[in-house]
Amino acid sequence: MKPASFDYHAPPTLAEAVELMARLHEEGVDAKILAGGQSLMPMLAMRVARPEVLVDLGKIKSLDYIREESGAIAIGAMTSKRAAEASALIERQQPLFHAATKLVGHRQIRNRGSVGGSFAHADPASEYPAVALVLDIVFKAVGPEGERTIPAGDFFVTYMTTSLESTEVLTEVRLPVLPAGTGWAIQEFARRNGDLALAGVATTLKLAAGVCADVRLAAFGVNATAVRLTGAEEFLRGKRPDRAVLAQAAAMAANDLDEPMSCVHASADYRRHLIRVLAERCLLEAAARAI
Amino acid sequence: MAIKIPTLPEQLPTTQPRFVGKEIKRVEDPGLVAGTAAFIDNLSLPGMLHCAILRSPHPHARVVKVDVRAAEALPGVFAVLTGEDVRRWANPAYTAPEGWGGYCIAVDKVRFVGEPVAAVAAVSRYVAEDALELIEVEYDVLKPVPTPAVAMAADAPILFEERGGNVIQSRVYNWGDVDRVFAEADHVVGNTFRWNRVGANPTETFGCICQWDTVDNALTCYGSYGTPRFWAMGRAMALNLPTNKVKVIPQPQGGAFGGKGGPRGTDIAALLSRKAGGRPVKYIEDRMEYLLAGFGQSWDRHYDAALAVKADGTVTGFRVRLIDDQGAGAEGWGTISVAKPLAAFTGSYRIEAARYDTVLVATNRAPTGPYRGYGPPPHFLVLESLMDMAARKLDMDPAELRRRNYIRPDQFPYTIPSGNEYDSGNYEAVLDKVLAMSDYRGLRESQARGRADGRLIGIGVVSTVEPGVFDWNAYATVGVQGIGVPEGAKVAFDMLGNLTVVVGFNLQGQGQFTVAAQVAADYWGLDVCAVKVASASTDIAPPSFGQGGSRLGVAITGAVLGACEKLKAVFCQVVAHLMQTTPEQVELMDGRLRLKANPQVGMSVAEVAGTMLGRSDLLPPGMEPSPEATFVWTAEGRTMPDDQGRCRSYLTGANATHVVMVEIDRDTGRTDILKYFIVDDCGTRLNLANVEGQLQGALAQGVGAALYEEYVYNDEGQPLVTTFVDYLIPTIHEVPMATKDFIITPSPVAPLGAKGCGEGAIHTTPAAVLCAINDALAPLGVEITETPASPHRLWKVLRQVAER
Repeated sequence: MKPASFDYHAPPTLAEAVELMARLHEEGVDAKILAGGQSLMPMLAMRVARPEVLVDLGKIKSLDYIREESGAIAIGAMTSKRAAEASALIERQQPLFHAATKLVGHRQIRNRGSVGGSFAHADPASEYPAVALVLDIVFKAVGPEGERTIPAGDFFVTYMTTSLESTEVLTEVRLPVLPAGTGWAIQEFARRNGDLALAGVATTLKLAAGVCADVRLAAFGVNATAVRLTGAEEFLRGKRPDRAVLAQAAAMAANDLDEPMSCVHASADYRRHLIRVLAERCLLEAAARAI
Repeated sequence: MAIKIPTLPEQLPTTQPRFVGKEIKRVEDPGLVAGTAAFIDNLSLPGMLHCAILRSPHPHARVVKVDVRAAEALPGVFAVLTGEDVRRWANPAYTAPEGWGGYCIAVDKVRFVGEPVAAVAAVSRYVAEDALELIEVEYDVLKPVPTPAVAMAADAPILFEERGGNVIQSRVYNWGDVDRVFAEADHVVGNTFRWNRVGANPTETFGCICQWDTVDNALTCYGSYGTPRFWAMGRAMALNLPTNKVKVIPQPQGGAFGGKGGPRGTDIAALLSRKAGGRPVKYIEDRMEYLLAGFGQSWDRHYDAALAVKADGTVTGFRVRLIDDQGAGAEGWGTISVAKPLAAFTGSYRIEAARYDTVLVATNRAPTGPYRGYGPPPHFLVLESLMDMAARKLDMDPAELRRRNYIRPDQFPYTIPSGNEYDSGNYEAVLDKVLAMSDYRGLRESQARGRADGRLIGIGVVSTVEPGVFDWNAYATVGVQGIGVPEGAKVAFDMLGNLTVVVGFNLQGQGQFTVAAQVAADYWGLDVCAVKVASASTDIAPPSFGQGGSRLGVAITGAVLGACEKLKAVFCQVVAHLMQTTPEQVELMDGRLRLKANPQVGMSVAEVAGTMLGRSDLLPPGMEPSPEATFVWTAEGRTMPDDQGRCRSYLTGANATHVVMVEIDRDTGRTDILKYFIVDDCGTRLNLANVEGQLQGALAQGVGAALYEEYVYNDEGQPLVTTFVDYLIPTIHEVPMATKDFIITPSPVAPLGAKGCGEGAIHTTPAAVLCAINDALAPLGVEITETPASPHRLWKVLRQVAER
């Protein structure tokens, strides 16, 4: 379990990293960006990933920040998840993202793992992509042609694949501040504390005059990417969030899923069932929080 | 001269033991905590090469061709080992029964995914793994044998063609008039059970450094070895060496739990060293190799069992049919796990007659190996689940049904139908204590309230016996030879009176160095930290087996005490000579050899040792000037098995009752353990902290087996669980810290009255948790009889209710 040989670069600035990626691409070299290494290192060790070159972003201090900017929270892509977990700003202004962060692995993993790395890795069982869909997170990436922004809806393509170009470096994750009074919840089902979720649901729920004005609901751990459950969202619009209605929406959400994946821990049927259970629990929790 | 070993701590030559029976800090821990203990991967030898092993991707295939030319040509590669080398230099693994093992590298065919087909020694593990990618293997894929049902079918593909079939052993044991007690029973409760594969997962995988002395034609192995002499003997047999030319140097180990395989790894590293001209070769098994093929898989069982019960709750008969999937042969010694239940077949109960119908089957799964408990834990899950079924049938409380059937204190020593003799116990006292501690009645009331609210809450009350201090005769039924498991220790004073205890094993985690030091310190009136415990390599150590079979704590206590007694006799002679009296007038007490008639007059132990080594003129004429003694201990009174396998095998029978409360989430099938209580009795507790550590650790493994861990194979014999992402060892979040207490019924037959306790709660926890789950499910009229009781499985069971 040792990686195949690779060349290693650790550019000190973003500009140099982008320039390096462009050059390697031009030379036809298979290069991979290393962030916190929590997923990539085991893949290298098992030789599942075997890039010719690793470009480590760990020395680029300018990508490590959390700040409030005009109604949004900007997180540098190399910020550790532990820093996000410890951020009072995130906890106060974006509690859903904060709760999701605490569900990622264990503290040791959150110490090393970066916020940007999780999004770029796009593991369908991870919490962040579902939260991105629910919150309309916006990503910033810098490539040879400069900076561009990518909305969450365009970011996740399929299993472990994003719309980032191979020459682009993900630089920032922008979270909207959660509007006051919005209900939210994230729940997942994993075999053990800290395991990848077999199924999970994230939601936000806004009320107006006692009825659902805007509900966002996404599932993770079940399909090739996290998925918005728009049928249930639409169904809830204008309805009072009582237990029976939320249960109906949850059942609808589970039925609407594409055939879930299957593994030694959970069949497709079981995953679909778990989404129904978790969606109902999440909606109840979010409704209780909504004002 | 017969050596009399103290059977109670009060018999030690001290006014009051300062260490034995206390919760003292372990002498081995400072090095472990500070990181100075040298595990095998901390070691490096000059000129050392690194080994990597190419493994079969197929469960069953003929090896047609192995082309290693490109690998040999890779810069940095020193040797490539193939089946051809191995056929020339080595023998197939010795197994019990004989003839069910392969060579360390496949020579004709592969029988499981992960079986070695070639190996490389190179300047680094990186280069060695690069070289593996250059080896071309041509396979002729054969039809796999994924399950015992397929294996036993008439047209089954055969794993070991020369054996003529896939059944390793088929044997029925009858103890008493089983048919009569079942015919006369008022109730017969029966069920089938499926215990899926689990196994040991030590923190450290197997590792070794092997060096072949090409001049002396001898082998030295440093490594993570738990039973060094046994390893040395096995390597000698496998590699055609005289046993005294194999030297095994055991390093401190990061745990083992029985599962640390590695015969193949050792033999491969040894032969690579031979082929590389004698350079040392290091092999460190990685976690994927361990999970795939490290002999860390155990107990893959299909049960069909029943109890015969009278209307008053008396259990009269127990019959078990077991089909045990051994995997690809017997090289991992998994066969023993079928034999061992004979040592405690009927658990804590007076059951008059029993039958054990066993079929050991070879399949294309990985060969099974030992795991903590070595067989009884699944057996007790079956027995205890049936006890609960009987209790439900009779509408009796499960605790009361057990109480009614316990062996009573006045019946010990008690011979169970399968032949073993239990030394002592007071099962009812243990039960009473745990029921009181857990407020059992209160638990039942809270369960009733929960049920009224629609919650699925269950309580398990389970009692088991832990056979302690193994003997080989327990495994005679599967072809293991011999009686007696010698364990030796040398106790040696130097000229300044400092004491060293030399043993034949190294640290594995259980704390036996501390036990040896405690016993010697109390014997000679020394501080425990003043006793040096040293591990000797196999060429110079006294006879030793090492860790295994819930034995070493008791055995090393016997060995140290025996050596101390021998040495005391010599010291008494010296002092008698100096004081012009007879040895009978001299006694040892609190570190002084003194005159019985005048205790103020005497010499310190250091003075006697110093006199022996420095003033030979003062010694009795002809006395050897050696303040040292070696004693080799084995359990007395072990017997040859009769035609039904009956013998006195394990020396001690510790026992425990667990009370556990669980709740099942009706929507997801998830089980949470709400409360956990343990009361046990392992006789004298030599070190309270050691025993509690064994209990809590074994509880964790029991929770793993009951709820989380499973090696899954698909219908083609492919393993689906090869990393810790899928093999789910419970963590601190999933394992409850049990509330614990104990009683002490000293063993009348073991040194200081201590019973084997190293396997502990793994005997009890899987049964206790499963019984609690089925207690929770009982009102719904459904049950689960398969482990682990994963959320997915429980959801399927609960769905049966929803669909009604």
